[in-house]
Amino acid sequence: MTDVQRVDLLDPAEVARLGGIEIVAQGVVEGFLAGIHRSPFRGFSVEFTEHRAYQPGDEPRYLDWKMLARSDRLFVKQFEEETNLRAMILVDASRSMAWRGAPARLTKRAYGDRLAAALALILLRQRDATGLITFDEAVREVVPARVKSGQWARLVRGLVRTPDGRGTAAQAALVRLTALLARRGLVVLVSDLLFDRDLALTALRYLRHRGHQVIVVHLMDPAEAELSGPPEVRFRDPESAASVVVRPRELARVYGETVRREIAAWRTACRRHGIAYHHVLTDMPFGMALRLLA
Amino acid sequence: MTFLHPLALVGLVAAAIPALLHLLERRVPPEAEFPPLRYLSEAERQSARRLKLRHLLLLILRTLLIVLIVLAAARPLVPARTGGATVHAPTALALILDNSASSGVVVDGRPVLDRLRAVARGSLARTAAGDRVWLILADGVARGGVRERLLATVDSAAVSPRRLDLSAAVQQAARLVDAEPLPAREVHVVSDLQRTALGAGRADVPRGVRVLALAPPPQPPANRGIGTARVTDGAVTVGVVGTPGAAAAAVTVRVRGREVGRALAAPGAAVSIALPPLAPGWWVGEATLDPDELRADDRRVFAWRVAPPARVTAPQDAGPFVAAALAVLAEGGKVGIAGAGGARGPDVSIGERPDRRGGARTNVVIPPVDAALVGQVNRALAAGGGPWRFGGPGTPGPIAASSVAGIDGIQVTRRYRLEGGEDSTVVARVNGEPWLVRDPGEGRVLLLGSRLDTAWTALPAAPAFVPFVDALVNRLARGEAPVAEAEGAPRVEFRTRGTDTVGATVYGIDARESELAAAPPALVRRLLGAEVLEDPAFAAARFAGTGRADGSWLLLALALVVAVVELGVATLTR
Repeated sequence: MTDVQRVDLLDPAEVARLGGIEIVAQGVVEGFLAGIHRSPFRGFSVEFTEHRAYQPGDEPRYLDWKMLARSDRLFVKQFEEETNLRAMILVDASRSMAWRGAPARLTKRAYGDRLAAALALILLRQRDATGLITFDEAVREVVPARVKSGQWARLVRGLVRTPDGRGTAAQAALVRLTALLARRGLVVLVSDLLFDRDLALTALRYLRHRGHQVIVVHLMDPAEAELSGPPEVRFRDPESAASVVVRPRELARVYGETVRREIAAWRTACRRHGIAYHHVLTDMPFGMALRLLA
Repeated sequence: MTFLHPLALVGLVAAAIPALLHLLERRVPPEAEFPPLRYLSEAERQSARRLKLRHLLLLILRTLLIVLIVLAAARPLVPARTGGATVHAPTALALILDNSASSGVVVDGRPVLDRLRAVARGSLARTAAGDRVWLILADGVARGGVRERLLATVDSAAVSPRRLDLSAAVQQAARLVDAEPLPAREVHVVSDLQRTALGAGRADVPRGVRVLALAPPPQPPANRGIGTARVTDGAVTVGVVGTPGAAAAAVTVRVRGREVGRALAAPGAAVSIALPPLAPGWWVGEATLDPDELRADDRRVFAWRVAPPARVTAPQDAGPFVAAALAVLAEGGKVGIAGAGGARGPDVSIGERPDRRGGARTNVVIPPVDAALVGQVNRALAAGGGPWRFGGPGTPGPIAASSVAGIDGIQVTRRYRLEGGEDSTVVARVNGEPWLVRDPGEGRVLLLGSRLDTAWTALPAAPAFVPFVDALVNRLARGEAPVAEAEGAPRVEFRTRGTDTVGATVYGIDARESELAAAPPALVRRLLGAEVLEDPAFAAARFAGTGRADGSWLLLALALVVAVVELGVATLTR
């Protein structure tokens, strides 16, 4: 299969026309895995089960040095192989996510759903327990992390069942999420991040403090990155009653600078707290977005 | 600053349009959802000051742009050097085109009038819509009107037989333009500037009125013309006028087309050419010169009446002076003495009372020696139906008469006032009171306020006495006016009363038109207050006092610059 035929590298809107979330995600994952030929995610939170006596050929890194110090004998740690990773995908379903800048593009929510489904499929295929939480101003759907068969279908159903949000993604919801993620693992937040950065970082930092590996996927429609429109227009925030009358041509340059500055601020803040940050435009092929996450 | 089209300045109201649009910008813009409103608000907050400045700058530039375009449309006039002036401030212009008889002289193969017309056309062509223009020709009439009509008048102006008094014309023109409330006032004198066309006095030119005079040709040709032609005593006296020192020319006299005499005369001289015996009646003749550069003065007509001598009777009471004068006239064949033979009665009777019995057609009545008889004479006059009568004694004074030659100024020491008649029948006056009157009634009466005696007046002792008596009995008694002379195309017009021809007016050009010498520039400057300029200088100087250049191009260029700046601000400051 050549790159040209790979679904994961096609235009997301074109790919979305192939079918539902499942079909799209499977197609994307097939193409994606065919491209990299190895699992993109390394487990680090594998579960310890028992000790056994060291035998020549065992890797020294698995030696239990504390046991050696106490008993003066060599033991190696034995791990549970089936459950490599506990991953929880958090999908922002607020009202702002149900927006697109052009009819030919996917809404941020639709893009995020498909990206989350593809990511979940990859994780499940490598035997990682994967769960899903959707939220807006409250937590809407919770699919606990499992690795058993049918889990991906449950995840997809969870995405489908979650309607487009009626409110904003509140910090309270994020705080509530932290309580749901008791066991450490991988947390992937898919959101347009249109909420207070400091409060959101507080929640994410807490997750990081709990030992989670946190990945933030910042979704943005291209029309949000570059301002355009009629000579004069009243822009209204879909999540609030706020509106402002602007002349896009007059503000385009400053607006672009503001957006770039905001992205840079998110990236810097996340890096400072050991959080991976990825800015993804909704016209980016799913394969490239997954590649960012790998 | 003045404007060619000041009404266009109304468009300055449009300069308020950008500001009004800015203030009235209350239209509802289209609405759209835009989630990252927080970024937008932040960007707007950061740009607020810049955008405010930008909007203010654009408002100023757009307003300035409209103002500049409107000002350009109003065609502003800015001061400019003479060479650069393309238009001028609204000007009141009086153009004097001297098409008098002298303008017909041919110089260098073309009439002077052609040159004058070309210059006049140039002046009119430079006038603009905001100017007020008059054209004055030799007839002295100031014609106002639009440029095209005046140009047509100039084109059709032919040599006029009239003389133009330049001093009077300039004064009239200056007053005309001075009355106009316009920024500039000019008088253009397009004339051959004859010395004789300037009056003795100085033209009164108001301050602020600029008078430009076209310099005359440097060397007018020598000219000879017939100045006068009058018939006296069976001969026509022809006066030749023209350039002093010019050679003599042949004067030919014709009567009814037949040459009756020829003589040589130089300008300033007069020749007398005898007329042949002609039957009683009115006759018209002409005196001509060989054609020269000025044809208008080479011919002059004249008219005279050949009348039979009046038969006069003068009783003893008329006095010795009258009797002596009649004797002289009779000897010369000018009068016939009634009763001296022939069956015909007297035509004129001279005496102290009207002669009703003798059947005289006209009575010349003089005051009686005896003052007591005045009443009787008055009753006789009243019985004849005449309105005039003798009044009380009048004061002494000189005679003033326009229609009887030679008696002006002769002293009257004693007289009666003449009363009762109409003023139009007065022939001569003393101290403004009638002294010689004519009753035009059926019984014609000539009434004299003094006896023709040296005790009453010095007239009998004056050389003019015999001609006066001649005029009295041969002309005034018959009610004939003298041959009058008037200015105009050469012709004769007869005046009639009933079936009788009682006078004639002979028209001809003014004799001063024959003197072509131009006035020195200094004299023109002094008398007319004019700048005397050659053709090119004249063309450059007219309207130069208010020389203006059209500033609209400058404003349009500025508007273009402003438009470019506006475009730059509108695009580069986004």
